[in-house]
Amino acid sequence: MNLFLKGGDVATEDNAPTRADVWIVDGTIKAVSVMDAPEGARVIDCVGTVIMPGMFDAHVHFREPGQEQKETILDGSEAAINGGITGVVMMPNTAPSIDSAAVVNRVMEIGRKCRIPILTSGCITVGREGKEMAPISGMKDAGVLMLTDDGDAVPNAALLKRAMEYGKEFDIFFASHCEDSQLAGPRALNEGPVSYRLGIQGTPALAEEICMDRDIRIAHATGAHLHIQHVSSKIGMETIRWWKERGAHVTAEVAPHHLMFRAEDIGDYDTHYKMNPPLRTAEDNAALLEGLKEGVFDLIATDHAPHTEFEKSQAFVDAPNGLVGLDHALISLYDRFVAKGDFGWELLVKRYSAEPRRMMRLDVAEVAEGKPADLIVFDPNKTTTVSKEFMKSKSSNTPFLDKTVKGSVELVVLGDEILLER
Amino acid sequence: MARKDFLDIVTLDREEIIHLLDQAKPFKDLFTRSVKKVPALNGKTVLMLFYEPSTRTLSSFEVAAKRLSADVTIFDVPHSSVTKGESVRDTIDTLQAMRADYIVVRHRLSGQPAAIARQTGASVINAGDGAHAHPTQALLDAFTLREVHPDLAGKKVLIMGDILHSRVARSTSTILDKLGVEVAYCGPGSLVPHTHFKRFTSYDEAMKWGPDAVYLLRVQKERQEAPFYPSDREYHSVFGVTQERLRRISEEGIYVMHPGPINRGVELCDDVLDYERCLISQQVENGIAARMSVLYGLKPQTS
Repeated sequence: MNLFLKGGDVATEDNAPTRADVWIVDGTIKAVSVMDAPEGARVIDCVGTVIMPGMFDAHVHFREPGQEQKETILDGSEAAINGGITGVVMMPNTAPSIDSAAVVNRVMEIGRKCRIPILTSGCITVGREGKEMAPISGMKDAGVLMLTDDGDAVPNAALLKRAMEYGKEFDIFFASHCEDSQLAGPRALNEGPVSYRLGIQGTPALAEEICMDRDIRIAHATGAHLHIQHVSSKIGMETIRWWKERGAHVTAEVAPHHLMFRAEDIGDYDTHYKMNPPLRTAEDNAALLEGLKEGVFDLIATDHAPHTEFEKSQAFVDAPNGLVGLDHALISLYDRFVAKGDFGWELLVKRYSAEPRRMMRLDVAEVAEGKPADLIVFDPNKTTTVSKEFMKSKSSNTPFLDKTVKGSVELVVLGDEILLER
Repeated sequence: MARKDFLDIVTLDREEIIHLLDQAKPFKDLFTRSVKKVPALNGKTVLMLFYEPSTRTLSSFEVAAKRLSADVTIFDVPHSSVTKGESVRDTIDTLQAMRADYIVVRHRLSGQPAAIARQTGASVINAGDGAHAHPTQALLDAFTLREVHPDLAGKKVLIMGDILHSRVARSTSTILDKLGVEVAYCGPGSLVPHTHFKRFTSYDEAMKWGPDAVYLLRVQKERQEAPFYPSDREYHSVFGVTQERLRRISEEGIYVMHPGPINRGVELCDDVLDYERCLISQQVENGIAARMSVLYGLKPQTS
């Protein structure tokens, strides 16, 4: 490979895009500067585009093993590439759950056939049942760094405390889906005017906040590192801020949909807006955005959750929670926030590329001389229509379906390979 | 009015509501004649799809459809493949083959009738879905109130009881609101959500507001997963229409309504049923006329 990206602007986690050409030879970035095209290099015109490191999504549901009709690891990885994402962390709520070295090995083996690195988390408890501790050391040896029962909280606080006391000795960290199941009820939508209008019992933000505070307290007391997943409420954000100010070893993520949508968007039972934690209010949207800009949230993660068209066509209460995100997360973040000036490219690079990789103890991808090639070319002047044809995910359960958004991922390069060229 | 479905009150405008109410009047007048039938829906098929047990609403729809000369099929849900785990969607696909023109649906899940309406060309009528809507009940309630108060604008109606779990509260308050009635809610704090309507948590306070009618709701035990108040006895003494409260209601000439079925000794005492301004049996009779008006006004896309 001998590739010359000419005329673009290079973004880093610290700096707004700066005019620079990028020369890649055999999977390594040979030069980043304004220069003439080297002889023999294939020149790609990148004028007007932004060149960034590949994104990394630390929260995806790939449904394999067990629910391959929704998504396979391969389909999911292709959706990621399509969206400019060059690494992911799978959640363990598959069927069977990823709760042992054997299942971890099976998933990793399938993952190795994909064109991007596929990491997986493992369960805290066997079968995510909240009863017995999963074999932590065995999963660690198989390559797991993050333990979570995502989809549910660990209901038993004593068990969570013991798992943290035990697990931290293996240099592993924990991630929490925060939810008091009694308060959460049927988990269909936020408690408020919309749940009343639609006649469905709502889930109050309180359900998330109480459990979040509980889990951080337990982590703080045991000295374990805790990562809070998909924070959806204002007080949730403030809870994390409060604990961070007190030096707790806590990190947190926010999902694009919680920044963009609210309960009102459900309208007349549109299941594309049904997710857990649920969409809340405009006030929560604003607080989450503030938390992202301030650094309360270390990272952005999609919570990519594929479901079949049939499943999502059921009555609102019966339809499963979640939306797909990998194919369009980056372009939608650009469309909704960067293009409007809410935050800059450097925030995207920091929160959706650098920080998630740091949390997973990976080398941070950088568009810099001497670094391995792991980059994307993003054209803010083009638009993308998020059609079924565009999406590589096996499912298309997203409010963005058939919507046109600003921005297009034009090129994805990883190592010595061009993964995508539009 | 070329509406295909009748799913809720929220999406109706005031003119449509008035039209449906006015149209119900001649249907009601039929009931005192020896022949109670008109040929309006002759040759049309009405399918009753009740996923929740109901005797009153089901019979009311059945009588309404038959008085319009429609053929009525009652899809016997508890003994059908529904209990074998067939999805509602698949059931509807099967039922499409029966070429019903109207499907009357009751379901425990909010939003299910709307989902069915999207799937079929038949006119779907919501006969109650979860805690979401019961629009024909709302229509018959408004019709009944108009019989005693022809001009509803500015009248006050107090809706008492389990507002949170009640589809009746939602639909009836919405229709009354659209007709210019002042609506207020009263009941235990755990069962009265904060909405744009006035909210009382004590009976006396609510009576001081001076309602023209008190609408009592059934305490929906079947929809309550955890206790919302200590006991039926306590509910009756704090929020029920006791004999003492009935005296005051009677002195002030306030009408009493209830969607049925009633829980004696909980939301009301037995004497309420003999009270001269109790409209409960009129509500039942008007239900047939209101449902005839709805069936008559819809336009199925099945031809």
